Amino acid sequence: MEALLAFTRPPLDWHALAPELTLLAVGTILTLVDIIWDEKSKQVMPTLAGVGLLAGLVPILTLALDGTDRAMFGGAYMVDDFALVMKALFLIVGYIIVLMSVDYIRDGDYYENEYYTLMLTSLLGMLMMASSRDLISVFVALELLSIPAYMMAAWRKGGRRSNEAGLKYYLMGVFASAIMLYGMSLIYGLTGSTSFSSIASAMALNDGVTAMSILGVLFVLIGFAFKVSAVPFHNWAPDTYEGAPTPVTAFLAVASKAAGMVALIQLVFVAFDNHEVIQPFFWLIAALTMTVGNLIALRQTNIVRLLAYSGIAQGGFMLVPFAVAGQASERALQAIVIYLIIYAFMNLGAFSVVLAVSRKTRSGELESFGGLFQYAPGLAVAMTIFLAALAGIPPAGGWFAKFGLFRALLDAGGAWAATLGVVVAINTVIAFAYYARVLGQMWFQPIHEGDERPIKLTSALGSALVIALVATMAFGILPGLVGHFGEVAVLSTLGR
Amino acid sequence: MTGDPLFHDGVDLVDIGIMGLKVVVAFGFLLVATMFMVWFERKLISDMQNRIGPNVAGPWGLLQTFADGVKFFFKEDLRPENADPLVFRLAPYISAVTAFLSFAIVPVGGVFKDVPGTTGTVNIFGRETFLQVADPPIGILLLLAMSSIAVYGIMLAGWSSGSKYPLIGSVRASAQAISYEAALGMSVVAVVILAGTLSTHDIVAHQAGGINTWFLVTSGVIPFIVFLIAATAELNRPPFDLVEAEQELVGGFHTEYSSIRFALFFLAEFMNVITMSAIMVTLFFGGPAGPIFFGLTWFWPTIWFMSKVMVFLFIFVWFRATLPRLRYDQLMDLGWKVLIPLSLFWLMFISLKELRASNDWNWIATYAAAAGGLLLGGTLLITALRAGDRAYQKDSEDA
Amino acid sequence: MVAQNIAFGIISGIVVFSALRMVTTRNIVHSALFLVAVLAGLSGQYVLLAAEFVATTQVLVYIGAVMVLFLFGIMLTKAPIGKSMEMTGTQWPIAAGVALMLGAVILYSLIDQFGSDRLTEGGKIYRTADVGDEVFSTYIIPFEAISVLLLAALIGAIVLARKD
Repeated sequence: MEALLAFTRPPLDWHALAPELTLLAVGTILTLVDIIWDEKSKQVMPTLAGVGLLAGLVPILTLALDGTDRAMFGGAYMVDDFALVMKALFLIVGYIIVLMSVDYIRDGDYYENEYYTLMLTSLLGMLMMASSRDLISVFVALELLSIPAYMMAAWRKGGRRSNEAGLKYYLMGVFASAIMLYGMSLIYGLTGSTSFSSIASAMALNDGVTAMSILGVLFVLIGFAFKVSAVPFHNWAPDTYEGAPTPVTAFLAVASKAAGMVALIQLVFVAFDNHEVIQPFFWLIAALTMTVGNLIALRQTNIVRLLAYSGIAQGGFMLVPFAVAGQASERALQAIVIYLIIYAFMNLGAFSVVLAVSRKTRSGELESFGGLFQYAPGLAVAMTIFLAALAGIPPAGGWFAKFGLFRALLDAGGAWAATLGVVVAINTVIAFAYYARVLGQMWFQPIHEGDERPIKLTSALGSALVIALVATMAFGILPGLVGHFGEVAVLSTLGR
Repeated sequence: MTGDPLFHDGVDLVDIGIMGLKVVVAFGFLLVATMFMVWFERKLISDMQNRIGPNVAGPWGLLQTFADGVKFFFKEDLRPENADPLVFRLAPYISAVTAFLSFAIVPVGGVFKDVPGTTGTVNIFGRETFLQVADPPIGILLLLAMSSIAVYGIMLAGWSSGSKYPLIGSVRASAQAISYEAALGMSVVAVVILAGTLSTHDIVAHQAGGINTWFLVTSGVIPFIVFLIAATAELNRPPFDLVEAEQELVGGFHTEYSSIRFALFFLAEFMNVITMSAIMVTLFFGGPAGPIFFGLTWFWPTIWFMSKVMVFLFIFVWFRATLPRLRYDQLMDLGWKVLIPLSLFWLMFISLKELRASNDWNWIATYAAAAGGLLLGGTLLITALRAGDRAYQKDSEDA
Repeated sequence: MVAQNIAFGIISGIVVFSALRMVTTRNIVHSALFLVAVLAGLSGQYVLLAAEFVATTQVLVYIGAVMVLFLFGIMLTKAPIGKSMEMTGTQWPIAAGVALMLGAVILYSLIDQFGSDRLTEGGKIYRTADVGDEVFSTYIIPFEAISVLLLAALIGAIVLARKD
């Protein structure tokens, strides 16, 4: 009894938790609806999931209008502007992916209700990740977002490739988790705390460069490098992306990768202060990821694999600002956030087009895009815009992301930043080569198998495409829009 | 200061001696009790089935178990050719050791007053000590830990025999044990919430104020019922003895065992029955609590404890004599669809009751909310189960 | 303190031996059993550090649930008695080399950091109640998130495992 009475209830800020709770409630409702109406509920599932995701945006808006940073549990769970921007991004990305999934999942007669439940759970993990400033929360959030994703990758149960995708993703994922956990235990042993702010101050006291702190930090970062499929921890990505159902691939390539980046941002900018270890690590990883991803992408003949490797390379671009996190921390953070937002929309757009085309051609090969312009000019133009964005050609959105990158590198200055800038520039050119191959197929090649029937876009997929297109163009023409988000997305330094 | 007062001021040789004595006495007691338990069961079942039962060895056949034990000891120890030699030998010991270890946390005597921590001690060789082998602060969790290790004995015995009937028996056993461990643990948690402690000694001390302070009453009987059923299943006793369903599996996991190794399994099984009865008495029936009439004050609690245990031993035998064995799907349904939801709900209810008491909530509102929650949860659960049945039926029609 | 050190030494020996046998034995069930021994040994170390709750949780969760399910799975699929040669791949020397290197690096960093530190006697002992208070206050969000995670894992596992 004494022990029970000694317990004080934790102060919970319900407003700050409202987005997560909304998502949780929608997930629960989805499960319940499935139980009660069984087969009949299939029709409403995507609608419910989509509406639920948009409903999650409402508390984010009110929190943003409120504007104060909210810290819970001594800064272990933080709702600051950065978290809000990221949460909004995750919810919108989730909404677009629900739109992309509707017909794919329905046509394939996969388990629909469970699919949306798992996706919402995974998104819940991502929302949690954006606010976690504590090793345990970060780890739990990572598992919460990964484990449903492992299973979603294997969702086409009948297909060998999908099984392979799920299994590979799972095995590499757990392996990475194990490495990360070991690193976390080392860091905890070193600093005696799981909270990022205490870790930062404890490491500052220790000068931050003992063998053990280096090892701990590296293990944790490597764990997340798996998650964002950075070279040399990328081998799972192409097979998983190719085998998984295409909407799931989009989910993994955009949302899951963004969540990994969010975790890295929090670790690098809040917890780990020893930049003399972190910066060379990221320099190497970023350069390798960009170059290897792009070089392998050059040789791909399958469009999904091509997008997979291009995604790896894009991940490398996103890692670049981490390499100058010490000298230009503010600019670096902005550059990553802006890149993440733009990348999400342009990549989702590209995947939507692939989905639309493969619904007709039933093929993932590059040739299936042959002569797309002649029978589906709209799609061809849209794809051109997305690829231009990915390559970084104005006025499509991507250029501003690359611009932010160079700005951060320039701000940092020095020989290392300059060399990295050169690597980025070279890679941008290489990337253009394989994006151009897809463009060539669409505009100049003969029609694939002579099949000239037009592609019928379903309303859901069409909406996804339009949202992605509008966002990509808007970010390109009015870069201030996304730049604004980049500027407000500041990490709170409460409790530091 | 919690824990055994024996260790409060350092440890010397006398303390170690007392400890050793306790272990030896407890072990001896369990062995002898097991011997008589076997006799008791056979005799009682015979009575219920209008037979005479063992009556040759000793008065009323009392020495029958002893005679069996001696016989086992001198039989040849057979090991099948395909058996895994090491594991085959290891398995019976795991069963026997875990059976004994769980008994270590049971307080078998001592006069308890309603003040936890200080009472329930006896004086041996000038030292105050508890009448239980060990009182670890995690107390009752040790029971759960041991019962989860006990699964290994059965599982490994089945596997290492290299024969199909034992293997099937052991697979059934592990599935059964895992399923019912959840319900068992949850009903223990109900008691732990009320007592606010895990230590078995303190749990007993909380029940020292008479029958209406027994956790049987204060926890509202349901945790006890769940515990009794789950314990029967954990023990693989009838009606949950699918592990050794003779008609289907010859002898179940111990089909290939003979001689002293078989005796060890036998011993472990009955030891577990006694231990589980003792745990139930500890958790729900106030342990050694009871009126003290005259003479030796330390004597009466032990007598009360043993009589209470006897009641449960009788109940276990009674179960065996009267209840038919469940089918496997019935077993799983009972565990997952009835016991676990029931104990979960009751756990929440008890927590609510405690919260209401400590926060002074309006009791009408509180219980109305509880009833509403029960109604909603129950409806959902039943809907879900119906949906599951429907899906199952559809699948079997398709197939 | 002497008794604790002796116990620590013995348990560590058992753990290291079991860990080595776990990867070298050629019988999959034996391998699992050696893993059980490793986990049980760790649980013993927790007791020596006065963390009984962690120790029992280790037994309950790892030995009582995870490993039982491992063995359960092995027995339901195939559980050969005797040696199976395919248990050890041809690349084991490389794996051993990597493991040794990693072990050396970790060992170096641990000794470098804590080599001269001593565990102080009479420090605060965290009882089960303290653990519970922490879980339900500071770590309440991850704790609740784990329950969602388990539910999702359950749903997904059933979908993937059931026959269509």
